[in-house]
Amino acid sequence: MNILIKSCTLVSPASSHHLKVVDVLIENGIISKIAADIKPSETKTIDAKGKYLSVGFFDLNANLGELGLENKEDFISGSAAAAAGGFTGVGVMPNTQPPVDAKAQVEYLKNRAKGLLVDIYPYGTISQKKEGKDLAEMYDMTQSGAVAFTDGTVPVQDAGLMERALLYAKGFDALVISYPEDSSIAGKAKMNEGEMSTFLGMKGIPNIAEELMIVRDLYLAEYTQSKIHFTSISTAHSVELIKAAKAKGLQVSCDVTAHHLVLTEQALHDFDTHYKVKPPLRTNADVEALLTGIKDGTIDAVVSQHTPHEIEFKEVEFETAAYGITGLQTALPLLFKAGLNAQEIVEKLVIGPRDILGLPQPEIKEGAQANLTLFDESEWDYTTENNYSKSKNSPFIGEKLKGKVWLTINNHQLYEAK
Amino acid sequence: MPEQANRLSSKHLLGIKDLNTKDIELILETADTFKDVINRPIKKVPSLRDITIANIFFENSTRTKLSFELAQKRLSADVINFAASSSSVSKGETLIDTVNNILSMKVDMVVMRHPYAGAGVFLSKHINAQIVNAGDGAHEHPTQALLDAFSIKEKYGDVAGKKVVIVGDILHSRVALSNILCLQKLGAEVKVCGPTTLIPKYIHTLGVKVEHNLRKALNWCDVANMLRIQLERQDIKYFPSLREYSMMYGLNKQILDSLDKEITIMHPGPINRGVEITSDVADSKQSIILDQVENGVAVRMAVLYLLASQKQ
Repeated sequence: MNILIKSCTLVSPASSHHLKVVDVLIENGIISKIAADIKPSETKTIDAKGKYLSVGFFDLNANLGELGLENKEDFISGSAAAAAGGFTGVGVMPNTQPPVDAKAQVEYLKNRAKGLLVDIYPYGTISQKKEGKDLAEMYDMTQSGAVAFTDGTVPVQDAGLMERALLYAKGFDALVISYPEDSSIAGKAKMNEGEMSTFLGMKGIPNIAEELMIVRDLYLAEYTQSKIHFTSISTAHSVELIKAAKAKGLQVSCDVTAHHLVLTEQALHDFDTHYKVKPPLRTNADVEALLTGIKDGTIDAVVSQHTPHEIEFKEVEFETAAYGITGLQTALPLLFKAGLNAQEIVEKLVIGPRDILGLPQPEIKEGAQANLTLFDESEWDYTTENNYSKSKNSPFIGEKLKGKVWLTINNHQLYEAK
Repeated sequence: MPEQANRLSSKHLLGIKDLNTKDIELILETADTFKDVINRPIKKVPSLRDITIANIFFENSTRTKLSFELAQKRLSADVINFAASSSSVSKGETLIDTVNNILSMKVDMVVMRHPYAGAGVFLSKHINAQIVNAGDGAHEHPTQALLDAFSIKEKYGDVAGKKVVIVGDILHSRVALSNILCLQKLGAEVKVCGPTTLIPKYIHTLGVKVEHNLRKALNWCDVANMLRIQLERQDIKYFPSLREYSMMYGLNKQILDSLDKEITIMHPGPINRGVEITSDVADSKQSIILDQVENGVAVRMAVLYLLASQKQ
């Protein structure tokens, strides 16, 4: 694969060309030259004036259907959606059927992921069968390529089990990811507890369902001297708790979904199931606190929380509808919408996620394998035609979005926007 | 009959929140006319002769269903009844499929009760028929609120300025939400009263005050609407026992007689005698519970009539 990217603005803090306008020549999937002016030869040339070139984005929280939910998504369609969203690496949650709780499943996923543009990193479960009772074989899964451990959307409720998981994982430097929700507080509620739930006559999930769990896990992480990552935090107080923990020196990191930065519970006013997500959409004050957390570094990464579902799981009563949004193709535009600039986006979509998982940061330098995303703020229409996911459960389909991915390059393969 | 020029602003009756004050007043005025009709020797009018209505109940109901059916028959509509259980994709037919199957048989209007909030709103976006919400989860029960408002108006001449307290399980009640919205639109002042575990934390955002002491609440109000404790909607226990509930929130004659003024007692039914209300209160002259039932038919006739006349 050969391509010449002309006049792009490099956004890569580790590079000497950071924020400079350069030409980048890629030959056979390798960055062969970076210079102020490379003469176009017969190579395919892209005019990238005004566009940003960064290392490919990395998503810490996505569901790509495999295994068991291939009607919703598979690695082929999921990686196509990821590439179209600018992602070259995706961590996949074990919210699968069966859950990824042993070496066999991890190896199966690693095999299925071969040959794709996008690098797929499976996460294993903390507990066997994701039942929240006994530890799964985390060491064995690590040996097979699992990069983190989480019980996904069924968070560990038993504090003792979580303590043992943190201690055990520490033994081989594995990362435990907590999706913080106390299910005894959340109950059967399906949306945020607040003005909107009262207006809609629905029970609400209070903020403390999330915050209590964060407090618990922070105590456990402090006690066990372990590292912990919180995924998809959603409340103002959660940001405060994690900020304080970081100041105290705990090894804690966290992320937020892109949609929680632009949407509030107001979106649910007419029971639109497209906005049924977990954690639930909160309030303006929470969104503002999350954005502050992004800016001050409390929040390390932004995730897509890509959660595909067939239409029959969404075109039903709100109560029975499935949770989730297909987010891979909209993460970038939502971040621009939330007011982040290209540099902040690179921090939260490129550097933060890989640091959290302890993965090497790809570099933009001559001789390196090309792992790149070319993007800008231009507008595009998100339609069912240019939606690469097998599923269409995004409230943004049909909307004009600002923030477009032009090229995604990785593993000697190229995605190019039409 | 009311003039044709008077029309509701909404195609469906999904909730009080979609009605403006003028709509509500129009429904109450129309109901007044129909109340005369049902007290005549010949109780039937031909208004809905070409209209087919499906009553689809995904949740048990005796009185609401009966009241709707009677209203439909008095208006000469063709009526079919369908009782179903609600289910998710994994368990069976979806709501849209169920209703579309019925609509294929050329039905003009659907009266639906459903255990989930927003079921009517959801359906209105996906099907063609007009929808009357006969109760959706703990969201709305608009005809109940309208008949309650009608009954208060009948008793006092006006709803504006009246003080109404709703007592009981506010968290699981669709009657409460619809009543709050309806009474406020008509200018009444509303408070809620009940165990702290059964009052939504953010209820104040609806502009209602909370009073946890029953006696204080009753001393404040003109009308007390005593809700039924619906244990079947509580997935977990919110209070220790019905006995303790009625100790704190049950209305008995002793309390009623000790108040400074004569208040009016309402109840959406069915009554749990001895729980939220004792027999001597339910049967007292201050109770208008049976008037509510009678008015229910007139109000539902008005709603169906006004919605049907929109189609022409």
